Amino acid sequence: MRELELYFGPQHLGMVGNFSITLKVEGDRIVKADANPGYLHRGFEKLMEQRTWMQNFPLVCRINVVEPDHMELIYSMAVEKLAGIEVPERGKYIRSIFCEMARVASHLFGLWAYANMLGFDTVAHWAMYHRDILLDMFEELTGARVYHIYVRPGGVRRDFPDGFIDRLVKTLHKIGGKVPDYNATFFENRLFQKRAEGIGVVTREEAIRMGAVGHTLKATGMKYDIRKIEPYAAYDQVDFDIPTRTGGDAYSRLLTIRDDMIESVHMIFKLIDKMPNKGEVYTKTPNPFKWKIPAGEAYVRCESSRGELGLYIVSDGGDKPYRAHFNTPSYNHGLTVLEKALEGESISDVGNIMISLYVVPPEIDR
Amino acid sequence: MNELKKKLLSSFDNVEINIPEDNRMIVITKKESVLSILSYLKKMGYNHFALESCNDWIDDNEFELIYILSAYLEKDEQYQDKGKRNIILKTRISREKAKFITIIDIFENAEPYEREIHEMFGIYFEGHPRLTPLLLERDYDIPPFRKDFDTNKYVENTFGKIPSIKERKKEKNERT
Amino acid sequence: MDRNQISKWLKNPGKMANKYSFHVVYFCTGCGIIEIPPSITTRWDAERFGIIPVATPRQANLFLITGYVSTKTLKPIIRTYEQMPDPKFTVAFGSCPINGGMYYDSYNTITSLDKYIPVDGYIAGCMPRPEAIFIGITHLWKLIDMDKADGYKRYREDYVHYRANQEQLFGELDWPPLFSEENIK
Repeated sequence: MRELELYFGPQHLGMVGNFSITLKVEGDRIVKADANPGYLHRGFEKLMEQRTWMQNFPLVCRINVVEPDHMELIYSMAVEKLAGIEVPERGKYIRSIFCEMARVASHLFGLWAYANMLGFDTVAHWAMYHRDILLDMFEELTGARVYHIYVRPGGVRRDFPDGFIDRLVKTLHKIGGKVPDYNATFFENRLFQKRAEGIGVVTREEAIRMGAVGHTLKATGMKYDIRKIEPYAAYDQVDFDIPTRTGGDAYSRLLTIRDDMIESVHMIFKLIDKMPNKGEVYTKTPNPFKWKIPAGEAYVRCESSRGELGLYIVSDGGDKPYRAHFNTPSYNHGLTVLEKALEGESISDVGNIMISLYVVPPEIDR
Repeated sequence: MNELKKKLLSSFDNVEINIPEDNRMIVITKKESVLSILSYLKKMGYNHFALESCNDWIDDNEFELIYILSAYLEKDEQYQDKGKRNIILKTRISREKAKFITIIDIFENAEPYEREIHEMFGIYFEGHPRLTPLLLERDYDIPPFRKDFDTNKYVENTFGKIPSIKERKKEKNERT
Repeated sequence: MDRNQISKWLKNPGKMANKYSFHVVYFCTGCGIIEIPPSITTRWDAERFGIIPVATPRQANLFLITGYVSTKTLKPIIRTYEQMPDPKFTVAFGSCPINGGMYYDSYNTITSLDKYIPVDGYIAGCMPRPEAIFIGITHLWKLIDMDKADGYKRYREDYVHYRANQEQLFGELDWPPLFSEENIK
């Protein structure tokens, strides 16, 4: 059969985000796929060298559009390690609760994208509604819906307002009470199982060879999670489980995402019980206009909702970073794993595989 | 960590190791022994290639390449000590003729990292199958992430010199 | 309906039908795409204003440019804009299309979108809330009533200058000019 070249380009109904794939097809089957990123490149790492340490926070937020909280967390952790600042107890617990809320919101957004792609509009509308009432909680705490700028070196910006915890618990009960309906409509639906089983298979040896992390690896059976391997914030004070499946296809990945979301909701309740009632939430840092950090380098990592996130930062003793390099999980998933997982699949499954691998294009381009 | 340090010091020469804190080890070496140290570490169980980065030390007239490794879990439930560690390997190459060898034969997922370093810093990697542009759309005189590339001047010369539509219409009316 | 609406519908039914049925091109150009899915789902329903996303630019008449524009994205934006049929409207979000915004010193983002395609209005916010998007749409209705939303007419009249700006940025372009000298006027 003749070989055709198709562009699954940026303006396409099956594409969430600004990303393009060049496909070589024979009939309906893909022979070779070439990822083509770069539509959202702003040169963050060069811009960060021209702004001071505190001025970089609004920039760092906007690297991952769907979930900006872990980016602030990892930059704060890196600055604390270079400057030698300690975080008080209550600040650590508030950081953990905040990041778990962000994880639940990000998984609901991913569920919207996936269900919309397959055509299950009911579940997509439910997921986006539940994410909206959780964003109301964010707005009450920090003042903004999407870009919060709440985590800072030394702790968090301000304490919980009065009555916040009761409203948060009520919202989470509303979301959790709807999980049987989600299961009956989407996750145990025979149409979803037929659409997602056996599609985009990534075995464990391939995942290790290609550097995959996050849900792509958890769906092959390995419990690789930075919250257990190298605990940060208050994760060593609660016990939680890491859900895994075997199978390695899109069906296993989606079920791992659902189990992760339910586990996060339970973890927020446990953290609220154990949190100390009073205390400082941040330690004071020097005047941000004249803050110079001693020379050195550091590599820190944390677990965002998409996988292992790392930051390598170098300081030369001045008031601006010398070099900062983000190691985002979508870099491996969107460029190396996607090109391998798409070989032999049909054209109608490209969006399916791309969203189940949890690729977010702004993280690749930075 | 100390046993690994002793093994590395005894197997290779011209290697410098320091341990700044609990789980981080920095290995500084010359550029000829990078490939052999990386395959030795991979055999010891450090099979997760996390990051390849580059620093531009313009005062010393050198580039510094950085490789960061970590370890996956061997059995499912065992959080062993090896997984907590990160090994940072550093080496220096000259800035005038920036060339180095690729490590794709050892770690397969280094391919997009080396493409990005090639277009941002101008380092050529021998043996790489496709060194085409990954993120950038046009050519620049100096590769953009080097320290002597001035972004404000570039923005003024390229985007600032394009006139608005009103100015173009006024200019055309004045000419006719 | 009150008498004002009835008289408007009888005088100019084409304009009224255009206003109350915006079809939005499905193109996620930048940061601001994070607030579009909440706008089109149940909590802040956009379909009561007549807004619905469509698949191809050939069936669309509203183009939302959500945030900053890099040089690699500008080429698909121009090609999509030229494929949309007349009358068409463009709305830009945030302050990045006006003067570069917070990426003013980046080597890869453009500093002013109005030099390359005509823009009818801007909505403030980083990113604008769904309520702000709807207020912007109702302002666009007023502009259409007053005949001031004429971006597509300006593109047709001043096409020589727009094309000259695009060629100064990109060098040589892959696609031929949209209007030749006889088609203008």
